[in-house]
Amino acid sequence: MSEKTVLLVEDEDNIALALEHLIGRAGYRLRRVASGDAAVAALAEERPDLVVLDVMLPERSGYEICQLIRSNAALKDVKVLMMTAGGGEVERRKGLAVGADAFMTKPFATAELTAQIGALLAGVDSA
Amino acid sequence: MAHYWPGLTVPERLSARLGLRLRFALFFAVLGLGGACLIAAALWFGHARAGGAVDGYVVAGLIATLGLVGLSVWIGLLFDENVAKPILALASDLTTRARADVDLQIDEAPARHLGALAPAANAINAALTEARAARQRAVERETARLAREKALFEALFRDLGEGAVVATPDNRVMLYNRMAQELLGDIGLDRPLAVFLRPEPVLDALARMQAARVRGQISAETFLAASADGKRFLLGRVSPVISDEELSGHVLIFRDATEDLSAHAHQDHLFNSLLEGVRRPAATIGALLDVMQSGGDLPPETRAKFAKGIEDEVTRLFECLTLMAKQHAAVKSRRWPMSPVAVAHIFDGVAAKAPVPLKITQTDAMLGCDGFAVTTLMGAIIAHLTEDATRERLTLAVETEDAETRLVLGWQGESVTDGQLTGWLEEPLSSAYGDYSGRDALKAHQTDLWAEMTAAGHRIVLPLSTAAQQLTPGDARPEFYDFNLPGAPVGELADRELSDLSFVVFDTETTGLSPRGGDEIVQIAGLRIVNGRILRGETFDSLVNPGRPIPTASTRVHHITDAMVQGAPDIVTVGQRFHDFCKGAVLVAHNAPFDLAFLRLKEHVIGRRFDHPVLCTVLMSAGLFDHTGQHTLDALCERFGVFIPPEARHTAMGDTIATAEVFVRMMDLLQAKGVTTLGKAIREEGRMTRIRKAQKY
Repeated sequence: MSEKTVLLVEDEDNIALALEHLIGRAGYRLRRVASGDAAVAALAEERPDLVVLDVMLPERSGYEICQLIRSNAALKDVKVLMMTAGGGEVERRKGLAVGADAFMTKPFATAELTAQIGALLAGVDSA
Repeated sequence: MAHYWPGLTVPERLSARLGLRLRFALFFAVLGLGGACLIAAALWFGHARAGGAVDGYVVAGLIATLGLVGLSVWIGLLFDENVAKPILALASDLTTRARADVDLQIDEAPARHLGALAPAANAINAALTEARAARQRAVERETARLAREKALFEALFRDLGEGAVVATPDNRVMLYNRMAQELLGDIGLDRPLAVFLRPEPVLDALARMQAARVRGQISAETFLAASADGKRFLLGRVSPVISDEELSGHVLIFRDATEDLSAHAHQDHLFNSLLEGVRRPAATIGALLDVMQSGGDLPPETRAKFAKGIEDEVTRLFECLTLMAKQHAAVKSRRWPMSPVAVAHIFDGVAAKAPVPLKITQTDAMLGCDGFAVTTLMGAIIAHLTEDATRERLTLAVETEDAETRLVLGWQGESVTDGQLTGWLEEPLSSAYGDYSGRDALKAHQTDLWAEMTAAGHRIVLPLSTAAQQLTPGDARPEFYDFNLPGAPVGELADRELSDLSFVVFDTETTGLSPRGGDEIVQIAGLRIVNGRILRGETFDSLVNPGRPIPTASTRVHHITDAMVQGAPDIVTVGQRFHDFCKGAVLVAHNAPFDLAFLRLKEHVIGRRFDHPVLCTVLMSAGLFDHTGQHTLDALCERFGVFIPPEARHTAMGDTIATAEVFVRMMDLLQAKGVTTLGKAIREEGRMTRIRKAQKY
């Protein structure tokens, strides 16, 4: 069973730095991009098993990336974990409505994130 | 006009007394007789001078006289037929037309010998008819205008989103609308404002307003006052009503600020808690980090302690944020400054402007929203969805789930990306809103919208807040204003004009006829009469739990069963509420002593005294009509032409309405009889009581 891959889409460098380390340490192969368009390019280039997706991104919103993933047959089964600092209930519902598998509001404990990632990837056979 | 000229008194009077035809007849009679006399005199003179046979003179005289008399009679009759009669006919036609509305032309044929008189009369007739029609049209126009203005005014006030009350200078209610009624409870015409509202802040605003008026400024002053029960805070403005330079009252416009105030206080509190909750851990983390960076020589166990410290503080920070977010969401959802709008109205508005037909699922759901903004927003989205003809079969539906009502716009065809939606939402919503965008509207509604895909196709979902069902249109109060309220009460109650008093006409239904034998009240109904008008909107109607079974015989009369009164409040609660309702009024009932006996026996448990002045329609009727006759409610209704539907008879409210209708009519008769004040009416009743008592013994 080969290494599972995670695509981190996050424009804030500091949190990205922390998450890169964290996800890497958990044993996943990780790529990070910092904008909506770069995320689309990265998705086209190589299909990840999980996308950790911030809502507020330059160029395209996280909601739109999620919609793209769900409407693309090749990416349909990719897990999506969305996160945002805008902590409203409406954002959470919108995220789930456009197809996210899980939604987390910042700030969250890193342990919580890794647990969530683990849970999402547990049922996935790596491609 | 029947003036007589002073110099012409005798002939004028004579001619006025005799008819025209008689005068003509007399005229010709005088002509004939006078001619005959002249002929006789002339023949006598001729005979005296010339002499000759008398017979010749006599024969000539007779022939001439007969001829002359015949001629006079013939011409007289012609005159009568062609002059006198047509003149009379014309005169009568003209008089009729002057007094009454007759549109017919005058027949000119009989008056053809009167020259231009008949056509002239007809010209007058035509002018009169035209003037009348013009006046009629003007009256109708003016009446229609007044009716329009009245309807507009009533609609405006009735459905105003804010409470509106117009008060007299001494703070009695002249007008109120439905919102005022919602906010202030059982408000009523002619009631003192202080019963519903803590008066001090309003009086203070009035004083400021008055001071400003003295300086020549007519302006509104604001006030914040609690409702009389202290449960609500009302924020409002009061402005003067000036007519003929005199203050004839003031207008209070107010809204419920209770929620605002508490939400405001809540948010202030939240914000302060948030600051404090963030500041403390932030300061600690900053200090710990500083020390760790500067002190490179820290022993590992101290370093571990510091790291643990930072970890703890971060946990506290997260906890604080989570808690605040939760509380903030609660405050946000409690505060919704939008007005209730029917979803059906929004859908109709959207469908009317949509470039393609929409399939709409009918609904009676209500939203708390800015109806225009939501309609325009949905319209703009539909316009964008359909602009490139890649989407079809659009549907509009609604999903309600407790406090949330979602508008759902569905379609078949191409999907919509969140990026496209975001672009559309950045556009200005409507020229009516300036730069205000769809995004701004969503923010104002504290919501967002999104596109999602379901098995049935694509859809856009817009969650909004569910609103309470609006007041039903049938709830309109027919008499919610009276700008001619009687002046402020002065002097003794007994000396006040009956027409200036407020009355509460009431009726009770009971378990039986014996208040002292343990019978109890099962229902009280009352309605107010102010300024001679029955206020059908200001009624009191409550069942009372008698705390004992209702005998079948009584249920047969009033149709109130044990089951109906089971959940009803007891006499203490209802009695107090009814006492409030009767405040400042004269009580009126049909056979009042009976109803009052029940109420007065309960005064000690109710804790209020029913010491109002009382009028009884039975005694009033006995005073007005033959006191030995029938004075039942049915008899009085028949006498005054008041119709009670059979199903309403012997219901408390039905009998109350009937008694009130009879009472207002009897008041008119009392006035005519000279019984104008309350004191006189009560004395009149006393007289009847004595007569009736004397008859019993």
